[in-house]
Amino acid sequence: MNILIAGVNKSYGDFVALDNINVSLPTGQLTALLGPSGGGKSTLLRIIAGLESADSGSVEIEGIDATKLPPQKRNVGFVFQHYAVFKHMTVAKNVAFGLEIRKRPKAEVKTKVAELLELVHLSQFAHRLPSQLSGGQRQRLALARALAVEPNVLLLDEPFGALDAKVRKELRDWLRRLHDEVHVTTVFVTHDQEEALEVADEIVVINEGRIEQVGTPDQLYDEPANDFVMGFLGEVTRLGPFRLRPHDIELSTTPGAPGVLSGVIERSLRVGFEVRLAVDVEGQGEPALVVLSRTHARALDLEVGTRVWLRPTAGATSVPVLEVASA
Amino acid sequence: MAETSIRSRKGPVTYLLRIFVITYLAVLVIWPLWEVGQQTFFPPDRGAGGGFGAFVERLSDPSVSYAFNLTATVAFWSVVINTVFGVGISLLIVRYRFPGRRILSVLVDLPMSVSPVVVGLALVLAYSTGQGWFGSALASVGFYIIGTTPGLIMATAFVSLPLVIREVVPVLEEIGTDAELAASSLGATGWQTFRRITLPSIKWAVVYGVVLSMARSLGEFGAVKIVSPGAEFRGETATLLIQNRYTNYQEPTAYAAAFVLVLASVLALVVVSLIRKEDHV
Ligand SMILES: Nc1ncnc2c1ncn2[C@@H]1O[C@H](COP(=O)(O)OP(=O)(O)OP(=O)(O)O)[C@@H](O)[C@H]1O
Ligand SMILES: [Mg+2]
Repeated sequence: MNILIAGVNKSYGDFVALDNINVSLPTGQLTALLGPSGGGKSTLLRIIAGLESADSGSVEIEGIDATKLPPQKRNVGFVFQHYAVFKHMTVAKNVAFGLEIRKRPKAEVKTKVAELLELVHLSQFAHRLPSQLSGGQRQRLALARALAVEPNVLLLDEPFGALDAKVRKELRDWLRRLHDEVHVTTVFVTHDQEEALEVADEIVVINEGRIEQVGTPDQLYDEPANDFVMGFLGEVTRLGPFRLRPHDIELSTTPGAPGVLSGVIERSLRVGFEVRLAVDVEGQGEPALVVLSRTHARALDLEVGTRVWLRPTAGATSVPVLEVASA
Repeated sequence: MAETSIRSRKGPVTYLLRIFVITYLAVLVIWPLWEVGQQTFFPPDRGAGGGFGAFVERLSDPSVSYAFNLTATVAFWSVVINTVFGVGISLLIVRYRFPGRRILSVLVDLPMSVSPVVVGLALVLAYSTGQGWFGSALASVGFYIIGTTPGLIMATAFVSLPLVIREVVPVLEEIGTDAELAASSLGATGWQTFRRITLPSIKWAVVYGVVLSMARSLGEFGAVKIVSPGAEFRGETATLLIQNRYTNYQEPTAYAAAFVLVLASVLALVVVSLIRKEDHV
């Protein structure tokens, strides 16, 4: 009982948007499709919803083969990046739409709509037109509308992409709480790794039409399958033969421990509570980036030109440097 | 920056332009139409009665009533046909990708550029019982096109086809497919989506197109002239009547009928401007 995608391919002309996608998205969980722009996230989501058809492969939703089903028969809720609310209907009418299509009794529609508007905190706007709502409110309206038909699966395409950072963060927390309340299988697209790491139970990383890795946020962060995943989930730098996170580099002002690499501080930048150092390591083209807390940096008395010795912290996540240049 | 709005620039050039435009409109439109009104109510001919009574009297002549009835019937049906097909073709052009789509979207503009007389000739060629390609076949089942009301409707519909499409296509393009896709993912069938989502969004464009093609249909002359027998009580529409009477020294009747057509157009313009206002609120 889940969403099972097997061998899905999709091309636009001779451009391959999805290349043999196989993935199983677990029931009742919040899954993020994460990847850079143009990677094929929306395309995959639209294929799950039936808004686009795959060239080959199959989509199974909750045990039913949905490959050939039209969107209206799949019972999925879809929330578009740009809301796609029905402009000529009031907020309440928007939410009622799916229920009216299903010819539910009037009284039932009314209670259900009131319930959902309560859930998304839009009760007092029930009789407004969408044009009289803010972006975040419209987005919540779109969510309520999709939830009204009690879909097996809720699909969200960059639901908060068009909103400012603060509203975005609020809605993100709200979506997580909502999901914990409603427990509908949810897949949402994002290109913001922080959003994915914070909200999702499981993350599918997609790049150039291929799945790079599937796993929990912890797995992805701690055991990235490759250079790309590592680079996409957070800042990385290079130290000797490894790529690793800048805060996983141990810095000392004296040589000593085996395996240390020596270098000279090239630049130093203070950002809030942390200090970011670019260290020109001997025998390495690009400088290594090291992040320290400000207190630590001050204690070590670091300045541009200081000679320092670097090594990975014990237990640091690192991957070997590949020959191919990464993004 | 905001101070340099268009309204605040009032130099001598502005006044010159205004005078120029007003003169142009007066010479080309207002004065001739004013003359039609003059001729209708205060004919200079001795023997022709003036005033409103005479005007009504001329219009209540049975042949005149027949002509206006025919024009109304023809306009009504061609508008109905054009609304249905116009919306259908617009949807096809904007929402579907198929080979020949570009050719189709150019073809629908053809009636705008081809002279209505040519349209009439083409219909006669295709449908007349004598030499027509389909005419003989249709005649054998008892259906005649040329010289009958269906023929007039066809000619008029042909000529005013682009008006609805030209209004609807840009609006369809602008509203995009997101709302329609959302509706279908909420369980709506194609027809339900059209009825409840697409149609309300293009409503004003359709109404606007209908009013325009109504005005155009009422005034159609060239195409109708060719396919109609054009005699009294036999296919004589209002425009044909005007021409026939005018050339037959019954000018007062011609002017009276012309005045009614002018009135209808003004009415259409008023409706259109009201819609435009509604549209932008
Ligand atoms: N209708 C289309 N015709 C041609 N190419 C398309 C079409 N839709 C998508 N593509 C291409 O397929 C690729 C994947 O598109 P998709 O919309 O899935 O990307 P995405 O991962 O959602 O990116 P973003 O984060 O920018 O939304 C892109 O390179 C895009 O140009
Ligand atoms: Mg996208």
